[in-house]
Amino acid sequence: MHKESAIRDPLILGDKSYHDITVDVVGPIENKAPRAWYILITIAGLIAIWGLGCVVYLISTGIGVWGLNKTVGWAWDITNFVWWVGIGHAGTLISAVLLLFRQKWRMAINRSAEAMTIFAVMMAALFPGIHMGRIWLAYWVLPLPNTFGSLWVNFNSPLLWDVFAISTYFSVSLVFWYIGLIPDFATIRDRMTNPLSKKIYGLLSFGWSGKAKQWTRFEEVSLVLAGLATPLVFSVHSIVSMDFATSIVPGWHTTIFPPYFVSGAVFSGFAMVLTLLLIMRKVMKLESYITVKHVEYMNIVIIVTGSIVGVAYITELFISWYSGVEYESYAFINRFSGPYFWAYWAMMTCNVVSPQLFWFKKIRTSFLATFILSIVVNIGMWFERFVIIVTSLHRDYVPSSWSMFYPTWVDIGIFIGTIGIFFTLFLLFARFFPVLALNELKTILKVSGEKYKKEDH
Amino acid sequence: MAKDKKYWVGLEELQENPEFIQNSKNEFAPEQSVDDFLSETELSKTSTNRRDFLKFLGFSVTAATVAACETPVIHSIPYVNKPEQITPGIPTYYASTYFDGVDYASIMVKTREGRPIHIKGNTKHGLNNGVLNARINSSVLSLYDGQRLQAPMIDGEVAEWSIVDSKVSEALQTAADKNGNITLLMGTSISPSSERVIDNFKAKYGEEVVNVVSYDPVSLYGIRKANEMTFGKSMIPSYDFSEARTIVSFDADFMNNWLLHTEYVSQYAKNRKPTGDWMSKHFHYEASLSLTGSNADVRVPLKASDEGRALVALHNEIAGKTGGSSVSVNTDDLPMNAIKMTADELIENKGRSLVISGSNDPDNQAVVNAINTLLENYGNTISTTKEIFVSQGNDSDVVALVNDMQQGKVDVLLIGSTINPAYSLPNSDAFREGLGKVGTSVSFALWQDETATLCNVISPDNHYLESWNDFYPATGHYALAQPTIGKLYNTRQYQESILAWTGDTTEYREFIKGVWREYMSGLGAEGLLFDDFWYNAVRNGSVDVQLSEMVEVPELNMNAVAASARNSAKVKSVEGYEVIMYANTGIGDGAHSTNPWLQEMPDPISKVTWDNYIAMNPADAESMGFNMHLGQELPASTATVTVNGVSETLPVVPQPGQKQGTIGIALGYGRGANEENIGKAAYRTKQYGGYDMDDDGKKIPIGTNAYRFVNVANGHMNYFVGGATIEAAGGEYPIATTQVHHTIMGRDSVLKETSLAVFKNESQDAYNKPHRLLVHEGGEMVKKDVDKIDLWADHPVEGVGHHWGMVIDLSTCIGCSACVTACHSENNVPVVGKDEVRRGRDMHWMRIDRYYSSNMSMEKGEEMGLGAIDTYREMEEPEYANPTTTFMPMMCQHCNHAPCETVCPVAATTHSNEGLNQMTYNRCIGTRYCANNCPFKVRRFNWFNYKAYDKFAEVNPSQDATARLVLNPDVTVRSRGVMEKCTMCVQRIQGGKLEAKMAGKPVQDEQITTACAEACPTNAITFGDRNDEETRVRKAESDKRHYYALEEIGVRPSVSYKVKVRNTEV
Repeated sequence: MHKESAIRDPLILGDKSYHDITVDVVGPIENKAPRAWYILITIAGLIAIWGLGCVVYLISTGIGVWGLNKTVGWAWDITNFVWWVGIGHAGTLISAVLLLFRQKWRMAINRSAEAMTIFAVMMAALFPGIHMGRIWLAYWVLPLPNTFGSLWVNFNSPLLWDVFAISTYFSVSLVFWYIGLIPDFATIRDRMTNPLSKKIYGLLSFGWSGKAKQWTRFEEVSLVLAGLATPLVFSVHSIVSMDFATSIVPGWHTTIFPPYFVSGAVFSGFAMVLTLLLIMRKVMKLESYITVKHVEYMNIVIIVTGSIVGVAYITELFISWYSGVEYESYAFINRFSGPYFWAYWAMMTCNVVSPQLFWFKKIRTSFLATFILSIVVNIGMWFERFVIIVTSLHRDYVPSSWSMFYPTWVDIGIFIGTIGIFFTLFLLFARFFPVLALNELKTILKVSGEKYKKEDH
Repeated sequence: MAKDKKYWVGLEELQENPEFIQNSKNEFAPEQSVDDFLSETELSKTSTNRRDFLKFLGFSVTAATVAACETPVIHSIPYVNKPEQITPGIPTYYASTYFDGVDYASIMVKTREGRPIHIKGNTKHGLNNGVLNARINSSVLSLYDGQRLQAPMIDGEVAEWSIVDSKVSEALQTAADKNGNITLLMGTSISPSSERVIDNFKAKYGEEVVNVVSYDPVSLYGIRKANEMTFGKSMIPSYDFSEARTIVSFDADFMNNWLLHTEYVSQYAKNRKPTGDWMSKHFHYEASLSLTGSNADVRVPLKASDEGRALVALHNEIAGKTGGSSVSVNTDDLPMNAIKMTADELIENKGRSLVISGSNDPDNQAVVNAINTLLENYGNTISTTKEIFVSQGNDSDVVALVNDMQQGKVDVLLIGSTINPAYSLPNSDAFREGLGKVGTSVSFALWQDETATLCNVISPDNHYLESWNDFYPATGHYALAQPTIGKLYNTRQYQESILAWTGDTTEYREFIKGVWREYMSGLGAEGLLFDDFWYNAVRNGSVDVQLSEMVEVPELNMNAVAASARNSAKVKSVEGYEVIMYANTGIGDGAHSTNPWLQEMPDPISKVTWDNYIAMNPADAESMGFNMHLGQELPASTATVTVNGVSETLPVVPQPGQKQGTIGIALGYGRGANEENIGKAAYRTKQYGGYDMDDDGKKIPIGTNAYRFVNVANGHMNYFVGGATIEAAGGEYPIATTQVHHTIMGRDSVLKETSLAVFKNESQDAYNKPHRLLVHEGGEMVKKDVDKIDLWADHPVEGVGHHWGMVIDLSTCIGCSACVTACHSENNVPVVGKDEVRRGRDMHWMRIDRYYSSNMSMEKGEEMGLGAIDTYREMEEPEYANPTTTFMPMMCQHCNHAPCETVCPVAATTHSNEGLNQMTYNRCIGTRYCANNCPFKVRRFNWFNYKAYDKFAEVNPSQDATARLVLNPDVTVRSRGVMEKCTMCVQRIQGGKLEAKMAGKPVQDEQITTACAEACPTNAITFGDRNDEETRVRKAESDKRHYYALEEIGVRPSVSYKVKVRNTEV
């Protein structure tokens, strides 16, 4: 039985009852969508279609429509890939790691955070696909028996580990999220009157009937999946970082990458969760559930992970000098004083300076400040991947090959397109799926609700 | 217990169902007729009804049809009667000769199934020792140009040969009858048989009527004239660079286009190895940094207008110490220290030196003759008994001809196929005007070029690969060219045309045989049957005649020399910039500007492609505010050059080493100003394909015609002009360059260079220090050589079988880029055009990195107290005034611990057990991780479908139905999305191994060569089997100069380098 200290701020404000929670969460699904939703999804949808159009152009014409060249083989494509995967890590951490740590405050945010993860990983998975020169043969990365004498894939390659990592990550996240949704779908199903909706939610709820035995199994499965998903938080982005760390490129070839990337991922993921949730709570009137406490706790995670990232930056700079390797030291001198110095300093200010602001209680409990800083952090994290990839590649060992990278409209179009697709999916999620973990919130009502906390127990 | 059990098949057996007992007696199920089956009423109760049946039927039919569709079968047609020598799949080589008025070489033409696809040098016979250059080995592509004239033309309309012949003969006869003027304006011709043809022509139409004018667009008339003045004979002696210990060149680009440069390059290279008895010392005085100048030990920037005075000053220095007479000269602004040093070096090596000049001024050349006489070089390194016959262009005759044409005195003008006077003459407007006044003008051009379009009759010549020809380039050496493919179009060799107009219908081949038969004894063929002799001559490509050993030292006409020296000593510099026109390595004098392989080949010095530009010293460019750093999105500033009433606007490319106060502009560009049909790749293209059009809707030529600045003075052409003003034109122009960064940034693990003094006197650590790392061994820290530290286990087949490798000697590489074009030709590398090269997406499998020295270094930065940041920033800048230049060819290093192999997700790049890094095109899915992980950046990605995407329709030969014939059938043409790189010509390796297997012998050294090693004029690239102790490659590994690039990262390349040694003190 969860015991919470009486002096802790309540997690559910507003004197809610069980019924209130249901109405608050299921209401947006049952009622008509507000006009704003239609406007937003049209905009997001148009951007998404533009992005998909750019993808079609890319695949039909060739990778040459991007700004890549013989020296810089990866730029926006892999930057975007890592950025999206990193963002996804917050959801898994909130759902899985915080579950194992029995942090009840996660319950108001985990559903949307996990949805954000699913959509982010989907966007991320797009990039390794479309960045291939011959995407129609993408299935060759799968170790399937074949008629080429059974030609296997190259297990030494980090790109292949990515294939396993991302697909595992996606499938486990999807299963975890879906399992958690089942009781909520059942609630919705029971409340729906429209026969089509009832049927659909009925299908989605997998025959849930709320029996005690089902609840027991539900709890057990959640624990197992959390156990599965927790290592993924650390392994997936470590593997993604190996794309760089196992290479020989100066600036990529460092052992600090796995922990640095994982912290960076959690850092940017939490920032994206905050960006989404701060809007969502206002628009969907969920202020009682996503409280200032939730925002504060997430900001604290941002300070911790942001500080780790900051320490990693400084470590890298130190080691580039201390190692005595001229290529390594030049790589970093080039980063902060070469042609892309503006990207490096954007990264430094956004990622090192901004999270430190959250030490001030006033800032970390201010919704506006948090919202602004969360966007700043995500911009900074995008620049971090850009700096790592492009500045290391464009000037590596042999000076005759040094070049510059400039994005084309297709690079930019696809990136913005994925943001469009992401928001389209998220808006659809907000409209048709319960954005809060209904069943989990109800379990903490009595210990974390305002009404109950007043009574000293 | 088990025995008690009884088993039943089913309940039926247990219950003894009668039906079951009945059926159990039958071994097989009872037959049931199909009719019965179908009529069973139960069936009608199934839900499959008519609609569903039709659906299934439709699907099945479609499925069957789709399954029956196969990829279209292309039938190849085998020979019914196989010609004895031709086996499909095995190449046949034919000896031939290349000569276009500029480049001369004995070549071998590789043909497959009856068509030439690759050109290499003839190493066994010929003057040039198997040496080619980029222009020669790319010439095979021009054979397959679909824009070549396919039939003769009269007044712009296609005509029949009979009509052409009658028309021209009539015009000729008319001119002859009235004692008029028939002129043949030809490029340098060294063909005895062609001369005989013209002799016969003269005989028919009158010796007084017919005259022959020789014209070279880039003329060396000055040398002939000078020799006439000083020795009494208009001739050019032969030069032997292999005997010269000191070589002093005043702007003579003898590795690129000076006289018989294909011979000189290999002679020069012989003495550039620092380990021999001696190493030659090369001084080079020039204004623009040229290919030859960049390889000099001592390069001295000198204005072209100061060359005369510098020569006289040098003469005086030498005369002073050898007892000759001096000529007074103003030595202001001359590099006297360098001249004195040069003089001292020359005197020390009397009789074993060479002083040459590229100047077209006979006075300057006369002074050179005087210097060489003082140095006793005649009879040693220079032989007037053995003459060379190239560069016959007579500038005064050409000028006189243009005058005559303008006065309407020329009745019939026949213009040769190797020249394009309407484009390249300095007074081309006058020429064009005069051409209009010529009675009948006939052009032998292969394309409807600038000159041919203005002529009445075009009688198109064959391409050289379709022609019979003979050549006499030097005393005692006769060469032949044979056709390697039948005529592709309805063209005719110009000699046959002239024969036809002489009333002689002999085939030219027979004519040549006739001439040779006459001179058989002179050719050293006594006692042989002519047919045998001829057969051998054709087979070998050339014949050498024993010359007498007599060495003649010609007598110098001192008065003439004095007069010339006085002229040369006059100050000629004027205020303003000096514009210097030069023929660059790729385009030459303009004949090759329509060849996409050569346009895409980066200029060895500037690495710029698809354009010419103003080469200006960076200090000058900076003071005028021009863009200093060029790159993808960093365009060049444009400037307008105005001199003598001629004004042209060109982009400015900062060029280190260019003498301040001078600018260089390459000749040969700006062709096709009136949209002439000179070749698909000859015009500017746009970003998404298609030609770039100007405001009048006309195609825009590539670059600008610099011949307009060439001027004629004192009867000879001058390729420099002073008094130019340069003004910023205010615009910007994108430049496509393959190399954007020009200094080595102190990375001596990539490029190692040193001086002869250090090499000879100090230990290996001074110039070739092996990289050592601190490792923990036996309980203590030791410094170990990097090649003894390995993270990986040895390959299981190390030391077994072949291990292919390569050694590149940086001391001998001159940066000429013949290897680059040879690789293109051999491996079907696509041409991507200017826009893609600008975006850093050229497809060159091998490249030549050109590094300039910088004034800054890490040590210097420390001394000066600059921080690392500032030091590196300064190191990015090359030295402006006179940097040293080093060339480093780089291709896939075939690393034995290849970083690219581990990272490919689908194992598309693997290591063979013969040491090659293999690229499996059909497995590659294009993730490009291998390219990212390659420290040498040698991998190239197919960003587009170069074979079909319309952006490349104008530039990539594979998109043209005719040009596709040049592709090498042994090499796949890669598709979009696939990575490619140097394969060490694996197709040749496999071919060589097969040959050895069929011969039953092991592979010998030099039996297999890669295209680049074969093409290298100085043999800087050596390919061979590292596992075979007798190979040159293996022996090179123990050379003190031997090193691997980036050895410390542990990738164990199979390609290695040798330290560049310059013959300097420091």
